[in-house]
Amino acid sequence: MDILKSIYEVVWFILLVAAGVAALEGYFYTHFKFYARAWFFPAVLGVFPALALAVFGGLLGGYTFKLWLYFLLAEAAIAAFFRYAVKGRHTVPYLLLAPAFVGLALLLVYPFVFEVYLSFHDLKLTTIMMWKNTGTLPFVGIDQYVKVFTTSPLSEVTFWALLGRTLLWTFSNVFFHVAGGFILALMLNNQIRFKGFYRTLLVIPWAMPQVVAVLAMRGEFHSTNGFVNILIGKLLAVFPFLAALGVAPVQWLTDYPLLTCTLINIWLGIPFMMVVILGGLQSISSSYYDAADIDGASYFQKLRFITMPLVRPVMMPAVTLGTVWTFNNINVIYLVTGQAGGTEQADILVSALYKAAFTYNRYSYSAAFAIVVFAMLFFFSVFYLKSFDAAKDER
Amino acid sequence: MATVQFKGIVKKFGDNLVLNGVDVDIKDHEFVVIVGPSGCGKTTLLRMLAGLEEITDGEILIDNLLVNELHPSKREIAMVFQDYALYPHMTVEENMNFALRLRKMDKAEIASRVAEASNVLQLNKFLKRMPKQLSGGQRQRVAIGRAIVRKPKVFLFDEPLSNLDAKLREEMRVEIAKLYQRLNATIIYVTHDQVEAMTLAGRIVIMNHGIVQQVGSPIEVYRKPCNLFVAGFIGSPTMNFMTGKLALEGEALFFKNEDIKLSIPPYLLSDAKKHDGREVVLGVRPDDVLVERDGEKCSDKVQGVLEVCELLGHRENLYLKVGGMRVLATVEAFFNRSPGSAVTLCFNYKNMHVFDKATESRISE
Ligand SMILES: Nc1ncnc2c1ncn2[C@@H]1O[C@H](COP(=O)(O)OP(=O)(O)OP(=O)(O)O)[C@@H](O)[C@H]1O
Ligand SMILES: [Mg+2]
Repeated sequence: MDILKSIYEVVWFILLVAAGVAALEGYFYTHFKFYARAWFFPAVLGVFPALALAVFGGLLGGYTFKLWLYFLLAEAAIAAFFRYAVKGRHTVPYLLLAPAFVGLALLLVYPFVFEVYLSFHDLKLTTIMMWKNTGTLPFVGIDQYVKVFTTSPLSEVTFWALLGRTLLWTFSNVFFHVAGGFILALMLNNQIRFKGFYRTLLVIPWAMPQVVAVLAMRGEFHSTNGFVNILIGKLLAVFPFLAALGVAPVQWLTDYPLLTCTLINIWLGIPFMMVVILGGLQSISSSYYDAADIDGASYFQKLRFITMPLVRPVMMPAVTLGTVWTFNNINVIYLVTGQAGGTEQADILVSALYKAAFTYNRYSYSAAFAIVVFAMLFFFSVFYLKSFDAAKDER
Repeated sequence: MATVQFKGIVKKFGDNLVLNGVDVDIKDHEFVVIVGPSGCGKTTLLRMLAGLEEITDGEILIDNLLVNELHPSKREIAMVFQDYALYPHMTVEENMNFALRLRKMDKAEIASRVAEASNVLQLNKFLKRMPKQLSGGQRQRVAIGRAIVRKPKVFLFDEPLSNLDAKLREEMRVEIAKLYQRLNATIIYVTHDQVEAMTLAGRIVIMNHGIVQQVGSPIEVYRKPCNLFVAGFIGSPTMNFMTGKLALEGEALFFKNEDIKLSIPPYLLSDAKKHDGREVVLGVRPDDVLVERDGEKCSDKVQGVLEVCELLGHRENLYLKVGGMRVLATVEAFFNRSPGSAVTLCFNYKNMHVFDKATESRISE
């Protein structure tokens, strides 16, 4: 009765989460509701640190007095905050936000803080036992950051070569995503038969699990059995003059790994842009086109002067997202080239980062590396959104 | 400056027959107002003239040129849309000169045309603003400006004032009248508004169910509505209608129903014998119901009861009951009677209309 056991485990886990949320809500509710009572401080200081010690003590280094003291201090700060700053206002919104907020804190804030910690210390294969036994790591200052820019995360490519490659990869992918998405969206925005059917077909690459889609496509780029080379072979048989133009079957995966990855990722990314742009196109009132018709605009003039400017507001956030996703896209590159003995020719920053961390076990170096990548994306996004906001204010 | 002819225009959306044989001739430099209830096909007719909608059947001629297959931009028309359709991402100036820029017109010429139009419409202050930053009335002026810079042969206005409040609507109505005198162009104007139709139009086209009911000058359609629909649609408050039968008594013709009996003078319906026994509808505008007054050529006195008074300022609406019939009279203020009191009224024969009940068309002179 394995299945029963699984169900039992799932139910148990759900109940556990529910109990956690309930405890959290109860905790906040107490602070919101009774902040003004005379017994507020003694009660919360007495109860919650002790409870926390009982629940988390085992996990966090034993049921020690020191831990209880930490909990007590934290609780004192929180209680004071609720008594003097919050004063029971906005109870419901905060209670509703609390579970999500705490969840995010656990999943995002804690790892991020830990990563920053790692990047200033030295965690690698030779120090990991020391960390396990003593809980401390040698502090190295900004050494790791210096290394990011001066040494290779892999065996030969430098950071700067990787950066250039990443920018090329990002730009070419996003460009073709937008261009392809735009063309398909324009076609789907017409009155055509079987529109829903085409739309479904076109969205499939996006709806499929990426691992499956990428591995399937990798197979299609196989040098002898892949669909791409077979197609080229058939074309050559029918149009022999193509050979004179230099068309020939190619060892995609070994000779042009980055190009192959790019082609696969373009195929994967077009549907998203298409859906977004189609939504934008459909929200443009047809009366603008009527007015433009009367004003004498041709199809391309309407595209340039009406359609483009009016889909820009929906397209820009999608392009920002797409840029970040592509910049960070490890799936395609790792799945196509990442197996043992795989080439480094297709690696971009994040895939090199992944390999540095989990193939070469340079954890602290990778943490610093990740923070550098994060900073680049962060400034890019802020700049992008700012300029977008500025453009919007003009209207 | 052009003539426009609709010849047997038919429009179907799928199986839905929206226009069913529209024939209208519009002369050069004429201000034609199209009125009709919602959904009767006014916008569709304008859009077909503009070239934005396929023509199912029939012919449209502009300046005697068949334009059925001509691209909208080649028809030399300009349209002011009901929702203005100003390009939201262009400034007022760019909106106005968009068509000219597309035609690669000389820069100086563009500038002078825009300046001229914005002077006429008092848009100088707003040229650098975005449409979003304008009030409804300003947007509407921009929409008109966009139309006039192109110097088209025909202007199409689709309910341009329907989004404005009453006061602004009045102002813009006067502006449009002035503009018409200045522009010397043919204007086709769709509206719901009685007053706009009566004041602006050189001729009114009244439509219902995709069929033109009557075409004529405002005074013609007001004085001589050709059928019950036009009589009820034009004029506000609405005309009073009384159903009954005509009967010949001796030489004189009488209108009779359960509540009243009126003699019908020969100048209203000549050839009395022909009409004996006919079911008719009698129409009288509220203005022509004379209460406690004697008029020339007035009908026999009728007894009624005052139900409600509405004071409008200089006029007053009286809701009267004559037997089981309701009659609305509009009289000079102040009619000092309390509701419930008995009044005598009579109808002004000069402006009385007789319609056949079955065909609904006018039979009186
Ligand atoms: N694109 C369309 N597809 C199908 N039916 C349409 C279409 N456009 C209009 N109709 C129908 O045609 C009829 C006439 O519409 P139209 O817009 O011309 O009315 P209108 O006289 O301008 O009304 P309003 O005064 O409310 O603007 C309506 O019954 C409408 O439902
Ligand atoms: Mg309309």
